Amino acid sequence: MLNRQTRLHRTSLNWLITIGSVGLCALLSFIHLPNLHLLVPDWFLIWVVVWSVKRSWGQGVLAGIALGWIQDGLVSAHPSHAVSLALVGGLTALMQKQRFVSEDFISVALITFAMAILQQTVIAIQMSLGSGFPLEEIWQHHRQVALSSAIMSSLWAPLVYAPLNRWWTWLREQE
Amino acid sequence: MAFLLRWWGRYAGGLVLVALVLTSAWTLRETNGAAIRELYRLLSLPFQGAVDDQQALIQARTWQLEQQLAAVQAENQRLRQMLNAPILPNLNGRIVAVIGRSSDQWWRSLLLGEGSRQGLTIGSVVVGNGGLVGRITSITPNTSRVMLLTDPASRVGVVVGRTRQMGILRGQLNQQVIVEFLEKDPKVQPKDVLYTSALSSLYPAGIPIGEVQSVELSDPTRPHATVILGAPIDRLEWVTVIPYAEPTDTFTPN
Repeated sequence: MLNRQTRLHRTSLNWLITIGSVGLCALLSFIHLPNLHLLVPDWFLIWVVVWSVKRSWGQGVLAGIALGWIQDGLVSAHPSHAVSLALVGGLTALMQKQRFVSEDFISVALITFAMAILQQTVIAIQMSLGSGFPLEEIWQHHRQVALSSAIMSSLWAPLVYAPLNRWWTWLREQE
Repeated sequence: MAFLLRWWGRYAGGLVLVALVLTSAWTLRETNGAAIRELYRLLSLPFQGAVDDQQALIQARTWQLEQQLAAVQAENQRLRQMLNAPILPNLNGRIVAVIGRSSDQWWRSLLLGEGSRQGLTIGSVVVGNGGLVGRITSITPNTSRVMLLTDPASRVGVVVGRTRQMGILRGQLNQQVIVEFLEKDPKVQPKDVLYTSALSSLYPAGIPIGEVQSVELSDPTRPHATVILGAPIDRLEWVTVIPYAEPTDTFTPN
């Protein structure tokens, strides 16, 4: 009886922390420093990478779709962010399955870097297919944005990763 | 049947959770993240600066200028009536704080700290010190989202003040704003001032936008000019929101 109760507590606390951290990322995404429009990390991307690192690809894709839709609501739904974030979630999970890289801060930062570039590329492809902007303009912008987003996101990723990873590892050990 | 039941018993919890997560994400998407925006405004309230002494001086000066402007406007209106020229719109609006910006590098928008509860509506025109900024495209009770002129999806009909030449102002992906002209040989030159045109249905006519920086006529299919916006879009902290409804009767016969 007691055991079941603590498990229920733990599960609800886990949900609270998970949803709370998504909410925090969404709130952080509004903050901008004047004149630094390019130097903002993509908090949604960071969260999806952190979530997917030790999970199955299905869970990664699911998280990507959910956060992509939230970002659609906050920014603009054309083109949808869900496509690129789902891909990021799925790929991140697969990457770790095969143990190509060890799980520490540096590798998380590296994965985030690669995934940010992938995400911006997918968005640029979506824009090329359906937005009507000149291709030259899109890919020139992509070059700027992909690099700055990758650098900023990979710098901030360990900060999100450390507490969440600690909590989820502890949870796994308890079970 | 038994197999189905067993399958359901095993995965029901997970499926319900997945459905729940996806439904809430979709709800956030469809409501334009209303809940998150409202929460952000609430949390950022303590960080919004108070009006200090210098602001008070500036306000006094602004008041003086406003009075002078009102006198000039009244005179202008009388003169226009004598000439039977259209009357400029009244640009009195509500001053609203900018509390956030869009989180994406492809689209550019501002988040304002007031919404429908304070009387703002979708389509209201947003003006900063120096000129037009954009218009409100989405609204919640206490926040509203402004599509900026620098957003790639933004299109505004403009007119060159000196020559009355028409053009279309559009944002570009690389933060710049350009005017595309319809004629092959637009008579524009750097420093020409641009205003919203009377043909633009989304904005009232006559709001200053910015000035021409350089003219690019080498491509005859697309003569355009680069524009410096009057309002410092990157550093906006307060904007004026002017209620505006699209005119429904575009043509009234005499």
